[in-house]
Amino acid sequence: MNPTISELIKALPEDEAGHTTADDQLRDLLAKLADKPVPIGRLTRLWTFGTLQAKLAAAYLAWWLRTFHSTPDAKQQALNETHLKSAIALLGSMSYLRGAIMKVGQLLANYPEVVPQEFAEVLGRLHFQAPPMHFSLLREFVRNELGDDPENIFDDFEPEAFAAASLGQVHRARLKQSGQCVAIKIQYPNIARTIRDDLRNMKAIIAPMRLGSDWDNIELQFDDIRRMLDLETDYEQEAEHLRIARLAFTAADEVVVPKVFPEFCTKRILTMEYLQGRHLNEFLQTNPAQELRDQHGRQIVLAMFRLSYGSHLLYADPHPGNFFFMEDGRLGLIDFGCCHRYTDADLDYVTAMEQAIYGSRDDLRLAVIRATDMTTKQQADEPRVQLLERWCDWVSEPLLHDGSFDFGDPAYFRRGVELYGEALKRRYVRSLPVNTWLTKNFFGLRAILSQLKARVDLKALTAQETTVARPTAG
Amino acid sequence: MRVTEQTKLRTRERILDAARKLLDDKGFERATTRDIAIEAGIATGTLFNYFPSKEALALTILGEAVEQAESEFQARRWGGESLAELLFALTASVLRCLGPYRRFACQVIETQPGPSSMPTALQASDEALRNYLEHVTELITHHGPTGGQPPTVITLHLYWTLLLGVLSYWAQDRSPHQEDTLVLLDQSLRMFVHSLSEPHHRTELSDEPDHL
Repeated sequence: MNPTISELIKALPEDEAGHTTADDQLRDLLAKLADKPVPIGRLTRLWTFGTLQAKLAAAYLAWWLRTFHSTPDAKQQALNETHLKSAIALLGSMSYLRGAIMKVGQLLANYPEVVPQEFAEVLGRLHFQAPPMHFSLLREFVRNELGDDPENIFDDFEPEAFAAASLGQVHRARLKQSGQCVAIKIQYPNIARTIRDDLRNMKAIIAPMRLGSDWDNIELQFDDIRRMLDLETDYEQEAEHLRIARLAFTAADEVVVPKVFPEFCTKRILTMEYLQGRHLNEFLQTNPAQELRDQHGRQIVLAMFRLSYGSHLLYADPHPGNFFFMEDGRLGLIDFGCCHRYTDADLDYVTAMEQAIYGSRDDLRLAVIRATDMTTKQQADEPRVQLLERWCDWVSEPLLHDGSFDFGDPAYFRRGVELYGEALKRRYVRSLPVNTWLTKNFFGLRAILSQLKARVDLKALTAQETTVARPTAG
Repeated sequence: MRVTEQTKLRTRERILDAARKLLDDKGFERATTRDIAIEAGIATGTLFNYFPSKEALALTILGEAVEQAESEFQARRWGGESLAELLFALTASVLRCLGPYRRFACQVIETQPGPSSMPTALQASDEALRNYLEHVTELITHHGPTGGQPPTVITLHLYWTLLLGVLSYWAQDRSPHQEDTLVLLDQSLRMFVHSLSEPHHRTELSDEPDHL
């Protein structure tokens, strides 16, 4: 078994700069990043990305891809240190570039079993450790968007961001009228175009690796990420998702979605109720009792199901940074940038898939063929159909399980990763578009439940939520 | 008939109003002093009693905007800013106040002499621009890494070059609210301030005479 990151940090030798721990390196790196400007112009970013990524992608990612299918025990223990150093350097690169690359880092961090554990843990720090814009730049931007300086619009506007993410940074303030504490998410100027440029750069750099026959698939995934990131740069859309989601829960659900204040929102500024709570890592550090883990696990599943069944909203990015574990035992759900509104066709498809899961093997086979839009020739490819059936079995296993399903069993999540990896390797990428979103949701949800080591009765929750499904809010 | 100071002031304002309108409508090249005089309801010759040239007229309008930006900058200071942030806030304020004149401001800026003849340009430019640069000098002196030493001419030369570059970019910037310019300005100023901290910069340039 691989060591934890803290064990690795302890084992690290002192480096030339005289640092004693990797934590020092991280702190230094973040301090330096705070002085770095956002590079403007594609060429500048390509240069930055190229130099850092040339060192990393070649050495690190290539190793990862080569060893992806070996068993965890066969992985070389000695490489763990390399992972950590690479991850630290990559963190610097991604924070500097901020846009797409950082977002991709967050996506990867959500799959702890896909990327090596050390890598994922360092990537996980990205959620709230990006270098901020200085207040004068932010103030100009707010004035352009809302018509006045933030300190004139709000009371107690805090010039220092309390959270920073890839697309923006979040400041605390109070509403003048009510005194209510709000979180104001402010997007970095120019971020949408930065994202598009960064993705082009990333493709340009990775293209020579080609990765044989998998390249088409990777290219498709880039396009998919770009589409999602485009959505995430539209805060008006996110505000609408928040409004819909907020209507979906009652006090009894113990799930909180922050209220939006539309008078202080634009496409690039989002003002919402401030929620206080712990993030997953902080929560886990308190060594919570199993009962509390289960309670929060149940709330997370309930939230995903309610949004999906009740509001027809697919929460496609359930990464740990989007959940708050509140002091009073409730779950706070933020960041609705990466959501998909089900179309009627999507709903028909999802309903049919669910019926197939509870039906016979023949039903499942037909549903898989439909879901992956297979050609006649592909339908005759038995290993292909079987692999996709096994994927469906993996997704539905917790749904069919009687009683609480133990997501703390690492074997379950690993099996899903292996199936997904196998499908990628064999280029089984044909799929209905909605599956891209569904897969992210399935994986993300199972990843967080796995990290939480929660036991949740998904079968009962499915029955409850499909029975009391409310009319769509939007 | 004796023209009172008040009448002179009113006429000057009329000319400036007419110039703002026509320079914006037609651009710097196409708007003539004759057009401006007609718009202001005065004879062309009278206009020259107030402003020696179209350039001087345009620079006066821009100068007033820069003066307004200076006072806005002072009012909005909050005390915790670094040098790069102060220079950013001052210049962003200037850009904001120049915003209504972006169309012709660009054309006027393009006619300004390049960096090699900067001292001449500064002497010839209007008072507001000189004040702006004096303000920049003061900020660098008191908030820069040179320990209270005023910047050298070469340092200001570098600043001026950066500023002209940013202004040219701003004039053509099609991003919403010219936000790309803000990012470029931020990046340029951080680079500029970083250059002040370079040891070679301090040793090589510290003996330069300071004319400003």
